[in-house]
Amino acid sequence: MKRKKSILKKKISRRQFVKNSVYTGLALGMFPAILTHSSDALAASFGANINWRQAEGSEITVGLIPAGYFKNLAAVKSTFEDLTGVKLNMEMTPPGQIRNKAMLDFSKKTGMWATNATDPMFYYLYEANGWVDRLDEYLENPKLTDKKWFDYKDIQAGWRGTTSVKGVPYGIPFDGEATCQIYRKDIYDKNGIKPANTLDEYLSNAQKIHDPKNRLWAAAVRGMKGAGQNMYIYPSILAGYGGKWFNSSGKMTVNTPEALGALDYYIKLQKSFAPSGVSNWNWPDLADAFGQGTLGSYIDANSTAAVINNPEKSKVIGKIGYARWPKGPSGKRVCSIWNWSFPINAALSPKDKVATWLFIQWACSKETQAATSHKFAGAYKRVGVNRNSVWKNPDFQSLMSKMGDNFVDTSIKSYNNDTDPDWRPRTAQWPAVGGEMATAIQAALVGEKSSKQALLDAQTKIDKIMKG
Amino acid sequence: MNKKIRDYTLTTLATFIMLIWILPLIWSVFVSLKSEIEVLAYPPNIFFEPTLNNFKDAIFGSLSIVSELGDSFLIATITTIFTLLLSIPAAYALARLNLFGKKKLGFYVLATQMIPPMGLVIPYYLILGKFGWLDTYHGMIIVYMTFSLPFAIWLMVSFMEDIPREMEEAAFLDKASRMKTLLYIILPQVKGGIAVTTIFTFMNAWNEFLFAVQLSGNKVRPVTIAMYNFVSVEQTLWAKLCAAALIAMIPVILIGIIGNNHIIKGLTLGAVKGGGRK
Amino acid sequence: MNTSSQQEKSFAILLVSPSILVLLITTTFPILYLIWSSFQNINLSMPLNDGFAGLENYIEMFKDKQYWKSFKLTIVYTVSTVSLQLLIGLGLALLVLKIPKAQWLFRLMAILPIVLAPVVVGLFWRTLMLTPDFGIVDFFTQSIGLGSYAWLSEPKLAVFSVILIHTWQWTPFAFLVLLASLASLPSDLYEAAKIDRASALKRFFYITLPLIRPVIIIIVIMRSMIALSAYAAIYAATRGGPGTATEILNLYAYRTSFLEVNFGYGSTLAVFILFVTISVAAVLYSIRRKK
Repeated sequence: MKRKKSILKKKISRRQFVKNSVYTGLALGMFPAILTHSSDALAASFGANINWRQAEGSEITVGLIPAGYFKNLAAVKSTFEDLTGVKLNMEMTPPGQIRNKAMLDFSKKTGMWATNATDPMFYYLYEANGWVDRLDEYLENPKLTDKKWFDYKDIQAGWRGTTSVKGVPYGIPFDGEATCQIYRKDIYDKNGIKPANTLDEYLSNAQKIHDPKNRLWAAAVRGMKGAGQNMYIYPSILAGYGGKWFNSSGKMTVNTPEALGALDYYIKLQKSFAPSGVSNWNWPDLADAFGQGTLGSYIDANSTAAVINNPEKSKVIGKIGYARWPKGPSGKRVCSIWNWSFPINAALSPKDKVATWLFIQWACSKETQAATSHKFAGAYKRVGVNRNSVWKNPDFQSLMSKMGDNFVDTSIKSYNNDTDPDWRPRTAQWPAVGGEMATAIQAALVGEKSSKQALLDAQTKIDKIMKG
Repeated sequence: MNKKIRDYTLTTLATFIMLIWILPLIWSVFVSLKSEIEVLAYPPNIFFEPTLNNFKDAIFGSLSIVSELGDSFLIATITTIFTLLLSIPAAYALARLNLFGKKKLGFYVLATQMIPPMGLVIPYYLILGKFGWLDTYHGMIIVYMTFSLPFAIWLMVSFMEDIPREMEEAAFLDKASRMKTLLYIILPQVKGGIAVTTIFTFMNAWNEFLFAVQLSGNKVRPVTIAMYNFVSVEQTLWAKLCAAALIAMIPVILIGIIGNNHIIKGLTLGAVKGGGRK
Repeated sequence: MNTSSQQEKSFAILLVSPSILVLLITTTFPILYLIWSSFQNINLSMPLNDGFAGLENYIEMFKDKQYWKSFKLTIVYTVSTVSLQLLIGLGLALLVLKIPKAQWLFRLMAILPIVLAPVVVGLFWRTLMLTPDFGIVDFFTQSIGLGSYAWLSEPKLAVFSVILIHTWQWTPFAFLVLLASLASLPSDLYEAAKIDRASALKRFFYITLPLIRPVIIIIVIMRSMIALSAYAAIYAATRGGPGTATEILNLYAYRTSFLEVNFGYGSTLAVFILFVTISVAAVLYSIRRKK
């Protein structure tokens, strides 16, 4: 055991192992033996006490979206293929289409995708239709999982909560994020203000720096309508106001006084301090504006740090600061809880399911998480790693602190303290419900309806949806 | 003299309108030559140091769209060829021959195109899935032909109806067979129309997105999906997106240029025929 | 002449059968599936409710306020863009007709907007052209003193903007087809009219227009179908927003079927769109050719 640990700690070059293997192979005089040995060496470097090659010869396709964190995974996929002998195809699908495609595949049982990058809000839907396997069976099976090595509990607790339905895991989180304040440290310092601790402070901070005549808008958040767009920010404000999605009898209620307060705050923020096109803005637009220096602050995912620190696009590198979500009037502070996770397609053959599980284990393991972030050779280093242990790694931390002031501390505190799996309504009808709320919020923002009317109309629609 | 002045004025006016019309495209060319950081500069700058990096990335880089271009080209070309082979004869029959129920048949063809594409995604997914044709070239081609066939037939019908009746009658007097009449008399007359049809059929297959996303996969990736390499989840790389989009336009423009020549030939012939040679 | 006309018939059938066969095979099942689905309750988020629904979906559709709003919007959108495409296309075609030498250049320039992928068109117009204070169009309107507008954020303006985007991309189609058609018209008719001292306007209305009427009708039918099924560009530009201001019927059906996974109801909407389209097209079709 100790020997294995020391091997892991030393950064062993693969060349070293291959060299050893070549000597061994020559000694045995058989060419195939070299390959087996080098993959054994690879397996040893992973240190898991399972047979990585038990699904050898399978071929699986994984559906992903074109995003830096998945591209890094794709870049290291040969490690997986050498380790397991499973051919891995990674299909990049536009983010607006991936859920549809996954659901087509699941519902028609065509088995095209062994697994795919899954939105945590969809697990209730998938589970209700029996499209994905329970993962506790895989986690508890010693032939498939070395529990100690895989260390499931090392993965962010909140994220694990979102990929489970009624306590049973159906997906393993791969990459995630949390929303937080992102602001221009230099502008704040110049005006003598500190990042806001409450929602009201956020408004007053904005008031001080708002200067649209000189093309500096003080604050903005997502305005584009969509379950993952404006409905990614509003729920945090709602939680800040003490709102809940389900009332005491379990009925989904969206036009409560807290909801109205939250919506009015959202509208006030956007109308007073954001550029007028914000109702059509999504997070890349916010990041772009911030990177161009036209936005003083915004609240969005900490993963945009990679974008606003990209020298190819950003003019504000070195001037960025981060802080947790401001508290609302109720004293609550809730950030987003988001991750991309991998389930197992129930329509696969047993061997392919094993192959898929091996992939999921590999991708979400400590080694691969490190290999795709601070150990990655390319320019983009993943920010949203899923494991507490990686976040505590000094190399990772020193890399992340380059993202800006207080980045690591904000992220860790947000993950550990500010997340709530029920921050958005977890229900099989989420796709429809999320969409209705998103439409209502945007309608209120652009003045198509009053906020009261928008919520009332949404409530009527949601009642119908929930009844079925 | 008068005519020359009139021509110059008309040309200037038309050019002006056209330039304004394609201004967004001219702007995308500018964008594709800028570095990402300059794209969003405001006020927008017309003078900058151009760079070919974006094009290099789109062709050679990790975000290369070359293989997707190949896939789209294969699918669009075969779709167009089959569509032309089937639609031109059908159009001739519907336009000029005596066929019972011609009008109703023609309307049926038109109607098949009216099914909302979004309503077809699931049935097609089902069918292709059953035959194992998902993520295959032939699967995509068959689906695309369903759209292009009615479209091409009706375009060709319009062009064929323009030809004066006397053409066929003259051929009959010469005791030409029907097939020969079609091939040697009618077709040359509608060369321009065939070129237009070819361009649009190719283009519709080339730019199609909804079915491309759902019905293709790993092995077959049309270029419309590849565009999203640059619209990743975190950010939109505008300069590279424009570069890729412009590159993706090239094959169709080439086909358009080739087609253009035929249109010119066809139209000149038509003008002469209409004016004098009879 | 009996044999000749019989020959003609069999020849015609020979020419037309392959296409009809292909269409029958590839479109019959989908349309039947769609109609069948419209009578079913198919909601992926509530699989226990699945089953035969009879006319429930249709009744719900007629009661659905969003549906009527979308329906009206679709009519406005379709009529506007098709009329604009036709008028501008025809105007430009007539203009360019008089300059045969430079026609190839205009034809080439005309193809460009159509060739650009609709997805890219939507994205491009959204961010680089129309974003207030950031886009080119807005820059121009501000520079010439017309001020800045929330092109895609203000509901009525958003409708105008998406009509603008669609018209921008597709007018060249009408232009090219009309140009090809006009250029192939026999010129002896015009010579005769000129000798009769008919004015240009009279020549246009009494000779040209009737001759190209079939082409115009086909263009109207085709462009209407495209406008009705427009998806990629609008979705990229506004996602049907703000609110539901630009959610044409096709987008609403898409949202219902795919985003809200209520496929049964989505099919109902799709079937209804089909019904309306066919009806309108049937009327236009019947007046296509004055025999």
